[in-house]
Amino acid sequence: MELSWEIILMQVIMGLALGAIYVLLASGLSIIFGLLDVLNFAHGTFYMLGAYATFVAISLCGNFWVGIIAAVIIVSLIGALFEMTLLKRLYGTDQIYPLLMCFGLSIFLPDIIKMIFGLVGKVVDYPSLLQGATFVDNLILPKYRIFLVVLMAVVLLALYLFMKKTSIGMIIRAATRDRLMVNCLGINVSRVWTVGFMLGVGLAALAGAVAAPMVQTIPNMGDEMTIEAFVVVVIGGLGSLGGAALGGLILGQVVSFVSLLAPDWSNVSIFLTMALILVLRPRGLFGEEGRD
Amino acid sequence: MNAKKQINEAAAYKPYSWQTVLEFRAMWVVLALGIVLPFLVSKPLATEIMIYALFALAFNLLLGHTGMISFGHAGYLGVGSYAGAMVVFYGGVGVWVSLLAAMAGGALVAVIVALLAVKRKGAYFAMISLAIAQMLYFLALSPFKRWTEGEDSLKLPPLSVDFPIHLNLSDQMQLYYFVFVIVALAVLAQWRLLNSPFGHALKGIRENEDRIRACGFNITRIKFLSIIYSGLFSGLAGGLLAIYLGAASVTTLFWMTSGVVVMQTVLGGTHTFMGPFIGTMVFLYLRNNISNYTDRWEMWVGAMFMALILLFPEGLWGTVMQKIGERRRPSAS
Repeated sequence: MELSWEIILMQVIMGLALGAIYVLLASGLSIIFGLLDVLNFAHGTFYMLGAYATFVAISLCGNFWVGIIAAVIIVSLIGALFEMTLLKRLYGTDQIYPLLMCFGLSIFLPDIIKMIFGLVGKVVDYPSLLQGATFVDNLILPKYRIFLVVLMAVVLLALYLFMKKTSIGMIIRAATRDRLMVNCLGINVSRVWTVGFMLGVGLAALAGAVAAPMVQTIPNMGDEMTIEAFVVVVIGGLGSLGGAALGGLILGQVVSFVSLLAPDWSNVSIFLTMALILVLRPRGLFGEEGRD
Repeated sequence: MNAKKQINEAAAYKPYSWQTVLEFRAMWVVLALGIVLPFLVSKPLATEIMIYALFALAFNLLLGHTGMISFGHAGYLGVGSYAGAMVVFYGGVGVWVSLLAAMAGGALVAVIVALLAVKRKGAYFAMISLAIAQMLYFLALSPFKRWTEGEDSLKLPPLSVDFPIHLNLSDQMQLYYFVFVIVALAVLAQWRLLNSPFGHALKGIRENEDRIRACGFNITRIKFLSIIYSGLFSGLAGGLLAIYLGAASVTTLFWMTSGVVVMQTVLGGTHTFMGPFIGTMVFLYLRNNISNYTDRWEMWVGAMFMALILLFPEGLWGTVMQKIGERRRPSAS
């Protein structure tokens, strides 16, 4: 196959768009783990819920943007409900119990969705504003992919500012370091955890909502994504936002190019990349010393 | 007088805790139940219970006894299954060699997982083991399709054993007892392993890793061995599974297999020896019966699993042991 620079650039953009989904997903996972010490096995499930909530909201109001915002809010609230009623009771026990609780949810929820919406995939259309592509010289730039990259950049920036500049962000960062001390300062840490969980789940839902037009919206679409989000945070270093971002972007490029050059290997390449990083740098790219 | 006191002291000295004695009896009760199992439930279900019970015990070697959360046991089972089936399919060897190959396959994956992740704890180990198993699934699905037949699964010819007695493994009853004897031997081997000094070191790592390190044990080496033992027994279960199904199937490698073994083990009780076995029996029996009434099995099992984590985190057998312990405590000296 002739690899012209147009094709290469095209693949880079495709990879960036895919990477954007990974980044959104993995940063949510990373926040939840950093704050609550819970490995959210249901992360892909919330991603799936985000896609379905978008489908429902769009079919009710007809507007893509309202649909996405509604989806993120609804799924965050479901997440908060789950955290407050079920997950909260397991804090302070062995690390495995919250993990297993999330795993139970990831078995339970897709079947509920299957019952309501059936096995057949739902179609979410691209918003009319972002259909088609723009052309620069010979380059075809699909508008929606460009939008995803911009969205990811905006969300990451917002997340960074939220964590560094607002008082809630400061409390979240402090609680990640030392929850007992934050509690002693008279801050209701339990509520901070709920907010953190909502934030992480909201990011997963956003990833699902914006991915919905590109992928098939089926009840089990999240299962693979949970595992891929794990790979991203293992590459980037668990609990590090920068790591999640870099890991997601690397993985996006790897998948994009491998599926062009050796389609059979595209799924395997994700895990080979992880294995390679683990051999070269066991803590992950930005992994903190002593946190494993 | 002094001699009598010594004898009394010796008689009062109990080398085994009451838990160990209870588990030992439970093991024999369950194995005795295994003899009559194909007359209580259907023969295929009984065979499946035995194979997955062995798998769950092997899995619990890591989760319950060493305290490592493995979510990648599908990899050991699946590669064991493929290794066992491939040597029969391409090499034309007998059943015993096939089972050895299956164990080697499981152990090989265990070595890979251990090399990459043995030093990682908790959530990290869970993620890496899950990712490696998923990689093996995708490898078997498409790049290695030429050898694994991908989604069509690698089908085996009818098998039989000539040594030590002649068994026709196409016959459900003979297959069951063949599987049962191997599983029973493997259970006894694991019992022996866990009650050896090595097994006690595993429990020590679970309870307090730093203290065991301070005692001079090489933690990494012990964990490495524990992963490999788990891989060996899981691979054996995979080899038996290939014989039982008459094929090595790519769904064995799917992550859901790892999820199911986690549920079976937690249902029975992770901090016990026989818990995973009992959990598997209950789980597969329920699945067989509930799926007759509803096709919403996953919804029910997910909900029941979440309730189990909240109400009985020690599992069925673990909770029974706990209750017995509470009753004993007032009279314990």
